[in-house]
Formats: sequence, structure tokens, C-alpha cells
Amino acid sequence: MKKLLIMCGTGVATSTVVTGRVKEWLEKEGLKDKVTLYQSKVADEINRIQDYDIVVSTTIVPDHVKEHVIDGLPLLTGMGIDEMYEKIKSKIKN
Amino acid sequence: MIIDDELILINLVAETRDRALSVLGNRLFEEGYVTADFVRSVMEREKVYPTGLPTSPYGLAIPHTDSDKVIKPKIAIATLKDPVKFLSMSNLEEEVDVKIIFMLALKDPLEQLEVLQKLTGIFQDSDAVTRIANVESSEEFYQLLVSLDSM
Repeated sequence: MKKLLIMCGTGVATSTVVTGRVKEWLEKEGLKDKVTLYQSKVADEINRIQDYDIVVSTTIVPDHVKEHVIDGLPLLTGMGIDEMYEKIKSKIKN
Repeated sequence: MIIDDELILINLVAETRDRALSVLGNRLFEEGYVTADFVRSVMEREKVYPTGLPTSPYGLAIPHTDSDKVIKPKIAIATLKDPVKFLSMSNLEEEVDVKIIFMLALKDPLEQLEVLQKLTGIFQDSDAVTRIANVESSEEFYQLLVSLDSM
């Protein structure tokens, strides 16, 4: 089971929308049983980000964790969304 | 309804981001939907976690803040006469020319998930974004939301 964290600035509005989208996508791809979803805000997670296998953020993250974080903005704007899903998928399958 | 007629401002003239945020936020405050510190809190948060979205052909922004400053969940909306600059939600170095602002005053986002998903669905549709940016009255805006809804 992979741990997938979705985070935004407040953990309220944006991450809720994004989590809904990702959940639908996981079901569609038949990956639902391979992933546990977590939703939170950046400030609460930044020090334990390595605990998650996959991290998607709609907001800015500090440079030192950037490597570990997938930009979730495509889930809101629609631009570049296929590439973003590919990144998540490859992390789930690794 | 989470979107009220009096919370829709069409062709708002605002020179700066803060000006636009304060007009919209004060509208929510005057109607009794948010606490007195909501506007300031939205502005402060915007500096740390900006909410500009580089959508096409016009940028959007979804300013919001913590739910303890919300009394009744509402969404206030402004289309701007001239765009103002927001920073991109995922990149502090990218400026977005924002023409439409959705100010989210939310308590429990799960309750409003449907409307939020609808809105973000609109963001991804450049025809819909264009039509919203060009509406001339709040009634027209309302009609448009309803018609997009049934799509």
C-alpha cells in the first residue's frame, strides 16, 4: 500500500477538490486498492514529508523538499494533467 | 445558495490585488458571512500561499483563509475591468494576470465539494472562462453558471 499525501496551504479548500479528483482517477485506473490517501496542509506535513511515498501539492513548498513533491496545479487548471497523472502512476507502480 | 446575487461584482475597478480582495471581502463581511478579521487574514495568506491560477485565456484566483473566520459559507465573485496581478499558486516567481476572482468563504469543504468541483471544472474550460470574464451583469453571470451546470 502506497501512502499518497495531498496538501495545500490551509488544508481546506483546494486540497479537498484535488483529493476528490485524485480519488476518482484512482478508481478509474483500478489503483484504488494500492493507495491510501491523506489530505493535509503544508505547514503540518513539511517535517514528515518523507513518510509518504507520493506527495502532491497545489501550493508552494520549500526548496529542500521540492524533489519529493509533484505539482498538483494541473488538477485545478487542467493544463498538463496527463503528465501529472503519469508521474503519480509511475510512483504507485514503483 | 452558496452564491448570492449581491456577492457577484461585475467589471470591478481595482488597481491592485489587495484592493480587489478588500472590496470582495468587505462585501462578505457586510452581509454577515465572515468575521471582521477575514479580509486581513485572506490578504496575509495570499502573501504566503498565493492563489492565482494560470488558466486560459484569463487568469483566475481563489483567495480564501482558515474556516474559523467564516460564519456562513459563501462564495463572492468579481470579474475585473482590468486584470490585477496575483502570484501563481504553485510558483512564487510566476505572476498571473487575474480577471476573475472567486473568494471562497468555506466552513466544511466537504459540504461544498460539489460546487467547488463544478467551479474548478469551469476553470478547465477556456470557453467558459471567456464567457464568465465577459458577462455584463450579475443576472447574466448567474444564468451562465446555471447553464454551465447543466452541461
